[in-house]
Amino acid sequence: MPHQCTECGRTFPDGSKEMLSGCPDCGGNKFQFKPNGVDDENAVAADPTGSTEPPTPTDSTEPRGSTDPKPTRSEPKPTPSEPKPTQSEPKPTAERSASSERVSDIDNEDTAQASARSDVVSPDELDRASQEVPPAADESAEPGSGSDPDSGQRPGIDDLRDELNAQFESIRIVSPGKYELNLMELYDRQEYIISLQEDGRYVIEMPDAWGVNDE
Amino acid sequence: MGLLTNLKDSISRVTDGLFAAEEPKRIGIYGPPNAGKTTLANRIARDWTGDAVGPESHIPHETRRARRKENVEIERNGRTVTIDIVDTPGVTTKVDYKEFLDHDIEKEDAVRRSREATEGVAEAMHWLREDVDGVIYVLDSTTDPFTQVNTMLIGIIESQDLPVLILANKTDLPGTDVKQIANAFPQHETIPLSALEGENMDEVYTKIAEYFG
Repeated sequence: MPHQCTECGRTFPDGSKEMLSGCPDCGGNKFQFKPNGVDDENAVAADPTGSTEPPTPTDSTEPRGSTDPKPTRSEPKPTPSEPKPTQSEPKPTAERSASSERVSDIDNEDTAQASARSDVVSPDELDRASQEVPPAADESAEPGSGSDPDSGQRPGIDDLRDELNAQFESIRIVSPGKYELNLMELYDRQEYIISLQEDGRYVIEMPDAWGVNDE
Repeated sequence: MGLLTNLKDSISRVTDGLFAAEEPKRIGIYGPPNAGKTTLANRIARDWTGDAVGPESHIPHETRRARRKENVEIERNGRTVTIDIVDTPGVTTKVDYKEFLDHDIEKEDAVRRSREATEGVAEAMHWLREDVDGVIYVLDSTTDPFTQVNTMLIGIIESQDLPVLILANKTDLPGTDVKQIANAFPQHETIPLSALEGENMDEVYTKIAEYFG
C-alpha cells in the first residue's frame, strides 16, 4: 500500500484505482508515494521480538486477557530468543496501525505502510516540494521518513525509481534529469501529472478537482 | 402595450447578444521542440493584439508550461475571427538534461529544466485531450518530419476530428524543404512560412480564419 492521502492519511494499495478520482474519504488529491519495504530494515531492528508476524490493528485494542494474563506493554523484551513472539506486545508499528481506522486489507500491512501513515507530508512541505527540488538531494533523498540514520541499509534511489516507474508507465525516469515519455499513455489518462519529484513524490491533477474554480 | 413591447425588445436584444457572442475557439499550437511555436504565437499575438505570448529561445524546451493568449481577433476578408491561442511545450518522447548543457546551462539548472519540460509535455498532451478546439501544427521545414512524435500527434488530432493546419516553418533558413512536409502529411494542407521573418503570414491568417472561423 504505497500511496497515502496527505489530507486524511488513508492508504491505498499499489495500483489502486480508488484514488484516481481523489480520496474517497476526504476528496484530497495529493498523495505520498511510499514503496513497499522502504523502512523494513529499521523497523525489524526496532522490533525486539524479531517477529515476522504482521502487526494487526486489533492487537492493542482487543481484550486478550484469557490468553495473555500478563500485559507486557510497559516492558518490552529485547531477547531475540524469545520463544513465543506472538503475544500482543504493542510494537511501535502496531500502535500506529491501530490509530488508523481505515485499514481495509491488513494482510498486506507492513512497516513501511505503518510508517507512511504516521509520517504525513505537511501541506507546506508538499507545496515547497512541488516548486523546487534540490538536485543535490535527489540522489540521496528517501521518501517519507527523513529521520533514518541508518542510511547504509536503505534501498537505493534506483529501487525507488523502479517502483515509481511501475506506477507511471506514462513517464519513465531513467535517471535524474532523463525522462522517457509514453505520449499515448499521457494522452489517454484523464488525470495528469503536474509535478514530478525524484524522491518518489508526485502531484497529480484529479478530474474531480477540475472546474472547482470555474466561474 | 408600449411597455410590454419595449420589455420584449430588450429581452430579445439581450438573448441575441448572448448567442451572438460565441465563445472564441481555443487553438493549440503544437509541434516538436524548437519548431518555432512560440515565435509563431508571438507573431500572431503581436500582429493582432500588440502583446507577446512568451519568451522565444533557441534553447529547446524554453516553453515548459502552456501559455494562453485570449481573444485574439483576426480580420480576414471583412470578417473577424476570435481565437484563444495556446502555446504549448514541445512534444517529445525523450527529455535529457544533457541537451541543455550545450547551451551553457549548469547541470543543476539543466536537470530542473528537464523535469519541467517533462511536466510540460504531460500538460500539453492533457490540453490536447481536454481543452483544444483546433490545432496549428508547427514543423521545422529544415528537419525530417517523419518522426514518431509527429505521426502520433497528427494521428491523435485526426482521431479527435480536430481541424488542423500544418505549418512548415523556418523557410528563411537554408535547407528548408516544404515539399518533404507536404509529402509526410498529404491528407492535410501545408502552409510554408517564416514566423521569425513574418514571411507568408497573410496566407497563414487567411487559413486560420478559414479553418477555425
